[in-house]
Amino acid sequence: MRTVLTILKKELKIYFVSPLAYVFLGVFLFLSGVFFYLGIVLTGEASLRVMLGNLAISLIFVLPMLTMRHFAEEQRAGTFELLMTSPISLASLIVGKWLASLVMCTLMLGGTLLFPLVLEYYGDPDWAIIGTSYLGLLLVCAGLCAGGLFASSLTNDQVAAGMGGIVLLLPFWLVGNVTSFVSEDLQPILAKLAMLTHLRSFTKGIIDTADIAYFVAFTFVFLFLTYRTLESRRWR
Amino acid sequence: MVEVRNITKRYGPFVAVDNVEFTVDKGQVLGFIGPNGAGKTTTMRILTGFLPASAGTAIVAGHDVFDEPMQVKRKVGYLPETPPLYRELTVGDYLRFCGELRGIRGVEADRRVGEVMDRVGLRGWERRITGSLSKGYRQRVGLAQALLHKPEVLILDEPTSGLDPAQVVGVRELIGSLAGEHTVILSTHILREVEALCSHVVVINKGKLSAKGTMEEVRESASARWYRIELNQADAAAAAIGALAEVEVVEPLGDGALKVIAPSDPRAAIARLCAEKGYALNALERVLPTLEDAFLSLVGAEA
Repeated sequence: MRTVLTILKKELKIYFVSPLAYVFLGVFLFLSGVFFYLGIVLTGEASLRVMLGNLAISLIFVLPMLTMRHFAEEQRAGTFELLMTSPISLASLIVGKWLASLVMCTLMLGGTLLFPLVLEYYGDPDWAIIGTSYLGLLLVCAGLCAGGLFASSLTNDQVAAGMGGIVLLLPFWLVGNVTSFVSEDLQPILAKLAMLTHLRSFTKGIIDTADIAYFVAFTFVFLFLTYRTLESRRWR
Repeated sequence: MVEVRNITKRYGPFVAVDNVEFTVDKGQVLGFIGPNGAGKTTTMRILTGFLPASAGTAIVAGHDVFDEPMQVKRKVGYLPETPPLYRELTVGDYLRFCGELRGIRGVEADRRVGEVMDRVGLRGWERRITGSLSKGYRQRVGLAQALLHKPEVLILDEPTSGLDPAQVVGVRELIGSLAGEHTVILSTHILREVEALCSHVVVINKGKLSAKGTMEEVRESASARWYRIELNQADAAAAAIGALAEVEVVEPLGDGALKVIAPSDPRAAIARLCAEKGYALNALERVLPTLEDAFLSLVGAEA
């Protein structure tokens, strides 16, 4: 457990001593500002529905960029050898890195809480729905970070890891929109696989254990695949 | 302290390390030499628990690298060929992180980091970003990292490669000062380094063990055994000596000296011959090959 914290601390330090963290926070806040403005102007509602929906999509592109360096860079720089010859388990290394990405996501999402405060000042937003929406987004982040880490474990090249992450994760978004093109038997299966389906209830203010289970399983599967990939690399 | 038992490592059909076996006793400095691509790094990675062997095993500091990798990792300090640095971190932050990986925290961490930085000559460099350091200083940071937890066994993969001559001397002195306190395995292809630092040598070539033992034993084991003779009529004697059954080749060395290469000791026969023919024999000695000669004859000159 302490080694998880050691890794988490190191990853956050690297995020914040490089321009990386600031670029991500800045870009994400800028995007959410644009989405917030458009949402308010288009709908005239005191809600964050448009902003949060668009942010969820942009996370698919932003988070693989955040996670791409994790294993790709360790392997390229040889520091993976340092970690693997230290008395720490591969699992705590992966969990530490995943938590560090999730902390970054929390900060990014935390920054956007500015917008509901603006709504509160001028209107009467439903805080319960805002709360469940943010919970849903955080679960999306957890899953996407795990997927991004998996992509990063596959290669020594950061850019390949980033692009690979997007290619890997985008289908989980798109399958929700293409259901009308496939046979009726497949439709419910694809809909169940789609992230959007599971995020939707959160944005309506519903916390369904089935949806939480989806995101937990999503995260677990990709962290497990990361583990297996890194483990098998030693044998090749 | 380190016992390598018939280690083999295969990458698909390619055999990187083939049935290598050697031991290192406590406090020894072992030179692990071989041409590039001989399997030195692979062997070291197996000893550190980074890579699993395809067959065989190794006992490091009393633990099997395969069955108890965590115990081994706790007791081994390892400097890979390129120092494993996080370019974004300062020297101090980096070393504290390495300490934490090994459970060294708080006040003890500050103390140990200070100690190793003094030891490797990094005093005052704590706040420098490791990415901005020169190769020599990166190497020192890498060494500091390997020493941090007072490991029983130190494994150093080409610790002086890419350093300038002054830095090479510095790193060698440092490694020399570690002998006795730590058991050191040092891989290199710079033979002078081995002669300067190591009591024992293991030579591998194309994955196979070529020679092992003390420095003298390895030099003895080289097939190029030769004898140096000094006499007054060298030119005339050369032909006569060359005709002896024991002698393979005779080469003039100038100044009345001859180099005689022979598989078995020809000294008695040469002395008899000189007595018969009336040559004045001034010197007749067995010359121990240098480590370089031994190395070249062991791995072949093409390497």
